Amino acid sequence: MSEPLLDIRNLTIGFRAYGQYRRVLHDVSLSVGQGERVSLIGQSGSGKTVTMRTIIGTLPMPPGEVESGSIQYDRSSLLDLNKIERNKLKGTGISIVLQDPMLSFNPVLTIGRQMDDIVRYGDARLGQSRSRDARRRHIIDTLDKVQLSDGDRILDSYPMMLSGGMRQRVLIGMALLNKPRLLIADEPGTALDVTTQDEILALLNRLVAQEGLSLLLITHNLGVVREMADRIYVMDKGRIVEHGTREAIFNAPQDDYTKRLMAAVPPLYGPDVVTITNDKTAPKPAIAIEAVSKDFTSRSGIFNQHKTEHRAVDSVSINVAQGDIFGLAGESGSGKTTLAKMTLGLIDPTEGRIEIDGQDVGQTRGTADFRKLIQIVYQNPGSSLNPRRTITDQIAVPLKFTGHESTRIKTRVCELLEMVDLPADMANMYPHELSGGQKQRVAIARALSVNPRILVLDEPTSALDVLVQSTVIDLLHRLRAEFDLTYLFISHDLSLMRNFCNRVGVMLRGQIVEEGPVADVFGTPQHAYTRALLSAIPVTTDAAEALKPKVSKEERGAVLNRSTAIGG
Amino acid sequence: MVLYLLRRAASLLLVLFGLAILIFVIARVVPGDPARIALGPMATPEQVLELRTEMGLDQPFLVQLGTYLSGLAQGDLGKSLLTSRPVMDDILAALPATFELVLFTIILQIVISIPLGILAAVYRNTWIDNVTRVISLIGVVTPGFVLAILLQLVAAFYLGFFPITGRLDPSIAFDADITGLLLVDGTLKGRWDVVADAIRHLILPSIALAMAGIGQVVRITRSAMIEVASRDFIEASRAYGIPERVVRFRYMLRVASVAPLTILGLEFASLIGNAFIVEFVFSWPGIASYGVRTILQKDLNAVIGVVLVSGVFFVIANLVIDIVLGLLDPRHRLREGGRK
Repeated sequence: MSEPLLDIRNLTIGFRAYGQYRRVLHDVSLSVGQGERVSLIGQSGSGKTVTMRTIIGTLPMPPGEVESGSIQYDRSSLLDLNKIERNKLKGTGISIVLQDPMLSFNPVLTIGRQMDDIVRYGDARLGQSRSRDARRRHIIDTLDKVQLSDGDRILDSYPMMLSGGMRQRVLIGMALLNKPRLLIADEPGTALDVTTQDEILALLNRLVAQEGLSLLLITHNLGVVREMADRIYVMDKGRIVEHGTREAIFNAPQDDYTKRLMAAVPPLYGPDVVTITNDKTAPKPAIAIEAVSKDFTSRSGIFNQHKTEHRAVDSVSINVAQGDIFGLAGESGSGKTTLAKMTLGLIDPTEGRIEIDGQDVGQTRGTADFRKLIQIVYQNPGSSLNPRRTITDQIAVPLKFTGHESTRIKTRVCELLEMVDLPADMANMYPHELSGGQKQRVAIARALSVNPRILVLDEPTSALDVLVQSTVIDLLHRLRAEFDLTYLFISHDLSLMRNFCNRVGVMLRGQIVEEGPVADVFGTPQHAYTRALLSAIPVTTDAAEALKPKVSKEERGAVLNRSTAIGG
Repeated sequence: MVLYLLRRAASLLLVLFGLAILIFVIARVVPGDPARIALGPMATPEQVLELRTEMGLDQPFLVQLGTYLSGLAQGDLGKSLLTSRPVMDDILAALPATFELVLFTIILQIVISIPLGILAAVYRNTWIDNVTRVISLIGVVTPGFVLAILLQLVAAFYLGFFPITGRLDPSIAFDADITGLLLVDGTLKGRWDVVADAIRHLILPSIALAMAGIGQVVRITRSAMIEVASRDFIEASRAYGIPERVVRFRYMLRVASVAPLTILGLEFASLIGNAFIVEFVFSWPGIASYGVRTILQKDLNAVIGVVLVSGVFFVIANLVIDIVLGLLDPRHRLREGGRK
């Protein structure tokens, strides 16, 4: 291999705060060659982001401190450069694409303004200048490279007017404006739907090939890495625990941590897939949704005289049997959350009727009995738990509202913590003292506190790392067996759904387009959209890749034609 | 944008209409007979009755309301019992002084508090931050009238830096007949001595009025700036090589200014309320002095008029803030009027 473009040697970094010194990177060495695609894998808190910020030069120092080590970029030592020379490289030598395409834009400036600033100040640092028109032409050319042909319209738009996929493309274009040689991408596309993510990854691959870029990809998604990396570094607790070529890491991982990481990824296809069944036979369904529709009305005009109806859910009928784990799959905006909210009696359906355990939701919702029947676990335990109340207080909320005796609450909370494998002494802690997985367990305990028959799980693991996710999933399986629960599981993670649910329904624009037992839907998908979804999922083995349904470009375009449109 | 403005303006008119009805009802519900108070304890029942008829107080309530509203639509606020002149004339005579004071105060607040807030955010947790924290705390906890009296005593009486009371030195002959605002009319007529003297008179009362708002806005600007600083797009801008000063002033401040501006709009309401006391202390010939007298005298038409005028002030201030916010942040105007 020729001289690497980026060469990090023995980098050790710590943070000093309130007199305490904490090391976050230990002796990290990493290199990226010219035109090479390198992935840095690790869970949240492993030190990936600190590494990225140190390379790009946005790590605040203090509190950050480089203890030892060096970063060579193109024969200059980044850590020894003065501020001006260092700033010269920003955007022009090394550039980044941050994770969330919405948050990476300034919401109050047009796209054109933001991109023009980048070009203008980039030019200024390189000692050149171009006319406004020349800059605009350059920006439109760059947008063309990221396959956005409608440059003029995009430049006059505000970030919120673009769809998620477009924003991500514009963001990549932004990073490329000043022709960097190294692009650092932090979880590109993970905030997007899987089909859009697939397009973004393909785009990045093409840019590396065509523009001669080097790519450092920072991610926790092993499926993405398999499609995007020539070489891989695995990071855990601030240390590089393993590195090697993609084949070496995927086929024969050496380090224990890498192995556990690989094992925790739910497989989409292949011999390791777990198929859940429900062998209970109950006379009546737990949830019966009959021809339910929901319209949302938005008004415009001076006197709100113009009504536009938007059909979020369109005559959906589902029966969820007792003991089922019913997975509701679909991309954002497909109506799955609206359907779940109607099931919980939080909003009224426009048409149709929902029965829980034989009782009409419209009649019984709001009563203590209804609350004892069905409960919910939200997506992000960080925001679904009140940061100012202790764990006991939070778990006790449903108990209080269902007429539980206050003297028994303490013992009940301890029981519940034990149920979700948390130590009883956590009862008096506050949420910030708990890890993400522990918080989600508390949220589950809270939902279970009134002994419900049905739990609605709204992406309960999507905010968690994959190792933590697998433990939460195991817990949910165990609780279902122990307490005879029925789950309605909402997710866009189809790999997880394959191994967690026994039945699935796929939603597209408010309708259920396909429904059935998991093995059938994943094994022989009938609807073109299901096939497009499945084919877009990044998988971790070649065997699974071979088993994915093959979808032609045209077929995909037909069902996903809205994904890059303005609006949304 | 036009649609956004029309919508805001329409809803504000509605607010004013509601306010007019509400204040009228309240004024009629409070106990005490305005005619009796106006005539004094020595008046005979016949005289009181006569005045009641003249004022229309013997009419059914809804008729009174109707008469009042139709008068209001033509700019007629009725007659003041205190001065026996149309309320509208009284208010128009006193309004410019108050308007000038409040406007000067708002400008003072913006000019002082937003830069201080930015400084506090940029030099977070240093002595600069701590000093602004103390200043804003003092501003928030000190009642306006205490500050007014203190300033008057120290800066005007003992030190003599500023005049003690009034709007303009009596020795200066000047007729503010264009807008009624001394600063504007003085400038238009090229009378710089008037402008300078008016500013000298304005400084103490407007500081007394401004401090509470300054304290709030400094804190809010600071926390908004700090919040914005931690957002992804700020890091992205730095990583793309945008210079630090541009990141701070163009990117951060523009996003962060929404919260302080909203507060400033609401601040307007309390400014007019506080102006009642501050004007009293500095013998400012504004609407507040007039308002206080009319309230004590239960001069109903005048009270309603004063309240309505403060309402108009408040509503217009918020319209202006809405327009500014709409210009600063596209999400405001786009969300309101639907997409494009």
